[in-house]
Amino acid sequence: MVTLLDVVERALTGKPCLEREYDLRVFSSKLREVVKEYDIKYDPDTPVPSDDSLADDVFNAALDFYCEVGTYCTDTGRIIKFDENEIKERLKTAPSQLVFGEGADARTLVPRKPESKTPPWCFIGAGGAPVSCEEIFLKLVESYASIPLANSITTPALTSVRGIRIRPGTPLEILGTIRNIVLAREALRRAGRPGLPIMNALATATTAVALNTALHPDYGLRKTDGYLTGVIAELKTNFDLLNKVCALRSLGYGGGVCAENGPLFGGYCGGPEGTAVTTVAGHFMGILVYQAGWHLPFPVHINYASNSTPELLWVTSVFAQAISRNTHLLSLHLNYTAAGPCTEMCMYEIAAQRLAAVSSGVSIESVGVGKAKHEDYLTPLEPMFASEVAHATKGMRREDANEIVKVLLPKYVDKVADPPLGVKYQECCDIKTGKPSKRCLEVYTKVKEELKDLGLEFSISQEDTG
Amino acid sequence: MSEELFKRLREAVIAGNEKTVIEVAKEVVEKRLDPLEAIEKGLSVSATVLGEKFDKLEIFLPDLLVAADAMKAGLDILLPNIPKEKAFEKGTVVIGTVKGDIHDIGKNIVVALLRANGFNVHDLGIDIPTSKLIEKAEEVRADIIALSALMSSTIGGQKDVIDYLKDVGKREKFIVMVGGGATTQEWAEEIGADGYAETASEAVMVASRLVERRRST
Repeated sequence: MVTLLDVVERALTGKPCLEREYDLRVFSSKLREVVKEYDIKYDPDTPVPSDDSLADDVFNAALDFYCEVGTYCTDTGRIIKFDENEIKERLKTAPSQLVFGEGADARTLVPRKPESKTPPWCFIGAGGAPVSCEEIFLKLVESYASIPLANSITTPALTSVRGIRIRPGTPLEILGTIRNIVLAREALRRAGRPGLPIMNALATATTAVALNTALHPDYGLRKTDGYLTGVIAELKTNFDLLNKVCALRSLGYGGGVCAENGPLFGGYCGGPEGTAVTTVAGHFMGILVYQAGWHLPFPVHINYASNSTPELLWVTSVFAQAISRNTHLLSLHLNYTAAGPCTEMCMYEIAAQRLAAVSSGVSIESVGVGKAKHEDYLTPLEPMFASEVAHATKGMRREDANEIVKVLLPKYVDKVADPPLGVKYQECCDIKTGKPSKRCLEVYTKVKEELKDLGLEFSISQEDTG
Repeated sequence: MSEELFKRLREAVIAGNEKTVIEVAKEVVEKRLDPLEAIEKGLSVSATVLGEKFDKLEIFLPDLLVAADAMKAGLDILLPNIPKEKAFEKGTVVIGTVKGDIHDIGKNIVVALLRANGFNVHDLGIDIPTSKLIEKAEEVRADIIALSALMSSTIGGQKDVIDYLKDVGKREKFIVMVGGGATTQEWAEEIGADGYAETASEAVMVASRLVERRRST
């Protein structure tokens, strides 16, 4: 079985290759080859396909592809490679379930299948979007934890410490990361869900040294939380990322390691077909290079930094079916909307994204609203809405999801290039009570009613909330 | 005949056919045709087409990078043959991803399109300390320092470069542009950048406009 030490050894001794050579002559070139060989074709009229053989072809293409291209280590300029047996063995031994959280808030993350009635895991919150101050951070996380369908929390990113902008690799980052976890845990206590897992630990930590410092138990991180480790686009890593994995595993937090991977549609992946294959290959990299227990793919549009266009919905659906049909890997799709909070467009985007992902067999992280880039432009309404749509989608046939998505797409697709900004937290919610304004609630209610008319049933059962 | 050659130049660049671009550019020089006209009617037109195609994702990043290489090969042959008084110089850019940020795909697209549009680009790569960016800009007498940052946790590095320039009394010497996933127009204004662009095509337009404005004052 491949160990982390094997990975490091291969990073030091693998085939040398210039980075540009890897991008263009190894990665892009081989990707085009496998897409052609397996005759994988994007169909713009079917954002949520029901073709099992397409999903299996994408899976097998990704297997061939990853065996050929491996992972590029940017620190050594060498390729870390694995053979097919190593990938298949790891696919068999990777965790098929993981428990996150503690006490009454502990839940088990399990794999799903396309059209499965198994409730999707709802990893709810900010998607790492920035907030301007600690007060808003606390209010938001408390609100996220109060969402009934939330299984785990993704916190916002603090951008300053005592008014000084955080810089990665500096003491500011370490101090910011510690504040991030201390505040998040306090917010969960205030919401009455102290055991709820934080699975993006931590949005403020870019470097290994910041994460490692914040792992001290006094600050509140737990072995039942989740720990995101990024894949550098496309299929690359470096020693700082491997250091995070090494530290987490050495200190007993290894079960929570997640590989987060955002392949770029339009970048080295090329079109939707190559992006789908790369997203699946990212799972193989995750289980081998990062020894990850769970996966957070978020394929995104290179020009719009979101994933609600028809191409990205197709990529989401196809990768989800490829992984869920052929493995027991624990995979959660992260969605980014183009539009900002409390806009109808944002709600339509979320609905289309959650329908595509959940009907195709994966769970969700929601949501990076408005590309998760505008400070304070995030409210609790969007993640709550996402979790409700996700649960309303369980058991839904892909064909039916496809029809609903096709009704939703024309409502927003022409505006993706120039989307509405929406409102800030402090414009939506009462800063004292945390309650959303009537106007914002009306937007949420209106779109939810439209979805009911399209056949979605919004009801929460005991099974949904655990 | 010149029109035919310019058309071949355009088509070869768009197809990313470096060999043909070199052959045609050499033919332009051998036949004593106007190299500036060959750039304007051949290479520059193809740069515009490439930008438009990439915006619509009719072509993808690998196609763009290969085309930019072909464009550069053509420029390398044609530029030395332009008389000094007609010098074709869109501007010199020093670009890098700021300290602490290791993401480079967005920056690479901007580099490719700037080069395709005739800018002389010095790409320093990722995780670049403030002082190195400024040192290079001084060394090559850059018009523009362009700063990329993907994450909200790393955009502070863009502010650091601007603050440093101010503190050493050199802010007016360079145009500073910012871009990347986490940056916004509001952020650019807050830190005192001269220009911001959300996409690579916009970055080329903003860079061209800012250099023209500076040269006309």
